Amino acid sequence: MAKILIIEDEELMLKALEFRLKKDEHEVVVAKDGREALQKVQSDTYDLIITDIMLPFVSGLEIIGKVKQTPHLAHVPMIVLSAVGLENVVLEAFELGVDDFITKPFNLTELTIRVKKLLKK
Amino acid sequence: MDAGFYFFEQIFNSAIFYFALVVMCSYIILCFFSALEMKAYMRKNSFIDYREILVSPYAPSVSILAPAYNEEATIVDNVKSIMSLHYGNFEIIIINDGSKDSSLQKLIDAYQLEKVNFCVNEQLHHKPIRGIYKSRNSSYSRLIVIDKENGGKSDALNAGINVSSKDLLLCIDVDCIVEQDALLKLVKPYLEEKKRVIATGGVVRIANSCEVEDGRLVKVHMPKNIISRFQVLEYIRAFLMGRMAWSRLNGLLIISGAMGLFDKEIVIKCGGYSHETVGEDMELVVRMRRYMHDHNLKYQVVYIPDPLCWTESPIDFKVLGRQRNRWTRGTIETLWTHRDLFFNPKYSILGLLSYPYWLFFEWLAPILEGIGLISFILLASLGKINWEFSGILFFMVYAFSILLSTIAVLFEERSYHQYTSGKDVLKLLLLAFIEPIVYHPLTIYWSIRGNIDKFTGKKTWGTMTRAGFAGNQKKTEVTAVSQAVDIKEQQNV
Amino acid sequence: MLIILSTGPYLENLFLHRLPFFPDNIKISLFIIMFCTIATVEIYLYVFLKKAKMKRDKYLDAKWKEKISNMLSNIIIYGDEDDGLEKVVNHFLPRFKKLPLNNKRVREILIEEIRIYHANFTGFTADVLKELFVRLKLYKYTLKKLKSRLWEVQVEGVREVAQFWLYQYDSLVFALTDHEHEIVRMEAQTAYVRLNKEHPFRFLDHMRGRILPWHQLILFEIITKAQHVKIPSFSKWLNSDNDSIIIFCLKLISHYQQLDAIGELIRLLKHPNEEIRRMSVWVIGKLEAEFVEEELLHIYHQETLKVKVEILTTIGRISSGNYFDFLKGCLDSDLFEVRMAAMKAILGHGKKGKIMLEELLDRVSIPNQGIISHVLDTRI
Repeated sequence: MAKILIIEDEELMLKALEFRLKKDEHEVVVAKDGREALQKVQSDTYDLIITDIMLPFVSGLEIIGKVKQTPHLAHVPMIVLSAVGLENVVLEAFELGVDDFITKPFNLTELTIRVKKLLKK
Repeated sequence: MDAGFYFFEQIFNSAIFYFALVVMCSYIILCFFSALEMKAYMRKNSFIDYREILVSPYAPSVSILAPAYNEEATIVDNVKSIMSLHYGNFEIIIINDGSKDSSLQKLIDAYQLEKVNFCVNEQLHHKPIRGIYKSRNSSYSRLIVIDKENGGKSDALNAGINVSSKDLLLCIDVDCIVEQDALLKLVKPYLEEKKRVIATGGVVRIANSCEVEDGRLVKVHMPKNIISRFQVLEYIRAFLMGRMAWSRLNGLLIISGAMGLFDKEIVIKCGGYSHETVGEDMELVVRMRRYMHDHNLKYQVVYIPDPLCWTESPIDFKVLGRQRNRWTRGTIETLWTHRDLFFNPKYSILGLLSYPYWLFFEWLAPILEGIGLISFILLASLGKINWEFSGILFFMVYAFSILLSTIAVLFEERSYHQYTSGKDVLKLLLLAFIEPIVYHPLTIYWSIRGNIDKFTGKKTWGTMTRAGFAGNQKKTEVTAVSQAVDIKEQQNV
Repeated sequence: MLIILSTGPYLENLFLHRLPFFPDNIKISLFIIMFCTIATVEIYLYVFLKKAKMKRDKYLDAKWKEKISNMLSNIIIYGDEDDGLEKVVNHFLPRFKKLPLNNKRVREILIEEIRIYHANFTGFTADVLKELFVRLKLYKYTLKKLKSRLWEVQVEGVREVAQFWLYQYDSLVFALTDHEHEIVRMEAQTAYVRLNKEHPFRFLDHMRGRILPWHQLILFEIITKAQHVKIPSFSKWLNSDNDSIIIFCLKLISHYQQLDAIGELIRLLKHPNEEIRRMSVWVIGKLEAEFVEEELLHIYHQETLKVKVEILTTIGRISSGNYFDFLKGCLDSDLFEVRMAAMKAILGHGKKGKIMLEELLDRVSIPNQGIISHVLDTRI
């Protein structure tokens, strides 16, 4: 249905998210580090992006910034999925324009509902 | 005449021999302490979840200070890789130390920087700041760039300290490859030691021939260049054996300029980095320790054995020689500045153990070794040598140094085994056989040259290398400047 | 070859026949040479044997990890919440039972992987994983670990208890909260907070020694993330004679916005420990306790720099607007930090503060202008 980019360096999380979202019949593209993510962001367009903050090579915050500045991507809804729930990081992320911030550990079902809701918008 | 020779022979046979024995014993003792410390560390941290520090709002805040001079080729990527370090509460302060190239412009363009009305609290003295830059883009809100007039590495770091608004300072070389969880590991001792921790250091490793992508180490390889390879062995020995042991004894005198985490409050109170020496990293640690002793505060300086920082090492003898020459001068300057520590019971382990150790074994040993060699040649040319005894003595030292290197490789294998292929390990082990005859005499030579330069007041060397950071040398040299004066292994002939 | 052949008899002669006639230093040297050679050879053997073993271990670990991780992710993919817990667990259980759980390596990898998965998810996924852990009877090994003599194994056990909410081991864990090894003690305490429903913070009453910052950090994390912990009023520990307990409780009071602690906080403003005074001021700000402002001003002048700065920041945070004159007066201070903090505090008053700073800008000395423009610059 929708094309979703998942940026996540933990193998486990990536797998879980990928399969779960595929089950909901979404097309899933994955990036395992910040660099790969930037390439994928620049070369294609998506309906939704889920990203971690702490990533190899390029920080998640920078990726969010890049996405929000790219004209054809600026409207793409973004969800941050991170273990870091620090106030300043959360605020920074929202300031950059993300739509949702989920801290780990999280409920997979809840995540899929949030994804659905954002895609409807 | 004969009496003179007899005297020489006596020195040769006994005094130097026993000195060598003491040196060897001290290495064995250090080795032992190091093994204890490594074991305790590995045991304690094998199951630690560093994510706890990452997610906590009460983890200490850190300013990362990275001075840069003429780094236009790599600076943008380096900053990007520093920004992706895993940590919650940190800021990055890049200090452009009056670069003559377009380093600053590159940064401004890449990170959309603009000059801000930053008001600096001038707690430490440094050359004037031309401007402080921050980004318009909030995804780079952690980045601060200081543009200042050239003043050398110490000066740049002092400016960075003044601008810093966090509690801890991570001083790094901008072109170093920093492991992403380095900060988490370096911060941990601050949280768990019973005494106040004033500084922590991490192990520096040689990055030559390793695969690096976008400022991150992807795969570790043994350097192809033989000079770098010698240094790999030397670094493993110095860091895993020397510094871990001193950390255990709480007598550590040096934290590499390439990577060290400091308590800002103490750094400022004791006056920041010194402009007076080429060994500013060692001098700072000694001064901080003094400060704590002078104020009767309990403290600790910690070293952690994880390989956290990878640096490009010199690949030709000329550059390496200059680096070692400078390290020697840095040691002499630090020892001279703090000469009143010598066997001063007020400074407990610092005065009674660390300082004398550095004086006798780090500074004096190469000189004695040089003298030993010269007198040997002198005696040999006069036919006054018992070749068999000399051979046995020489072989003892040789066997011991091979053993020492082998133990170092064992430590590395038992802890981090960075060199995963058996071939690489074998190469390291075989290197231990050549090192004492090929590489070691050179380090002795450089060290003696350093002494000569220092005492003849050959200032040209000094200013040239101090401008080293500032200066017109290659990139490898810049890294070299900031590296620590290393614990050098000594043998005696 | 020739050299080796000729050195053989030489060495034999040297060590067996001539040795007693050498001077002392040569004797010592020969012994050292012998020792070094033997030691080096032994290390060589050790390194390479160990290396071979490690390679094998690594291969096996990777193999099992891959397999187990695939099995677990299948649960996440196909474990449909609509089917209900029972059905999903029954479906997957037989496959896991087929694993050679008697093999310690496989078992430990399985436990570790389930634990990590469990730590990352909540809700249905977590429930399934826990059920799996229980049905596979893995908790039996947890019990063994708790009773181990090695502290690192005990820690592992405690972690499993906490992660999977094994309430039956509650008392065993409590016993460990007083363990002689610091790390075990700390892990047991964090686990106990998660496990005990009645008095999760009982251990604070008889805490020995300092709670290390690292420990506080983990406890804080556990307490604030756990959903079922009964949160007491932390002010009752504020009169503890253990400073680290006070500091820890101050953090929690701030987190849970426990307004009932304000009385105690005011008392702490006179505490001999600087850090406690500073933290108390900070918490007062976090609680936005406007009526304490006067008290803060009262102690301001005899305070240390750190506490002074904290008081100014707090006035900015409470931003009642009652102390503008005082804040402006701070510009006369000799201390840079005080001036900076005071101006930031004025800005903390929102629009009104901003206007005031803009007005001030033209009227103050040049150094102070620098500070005000710094504060007004939104990019910093």
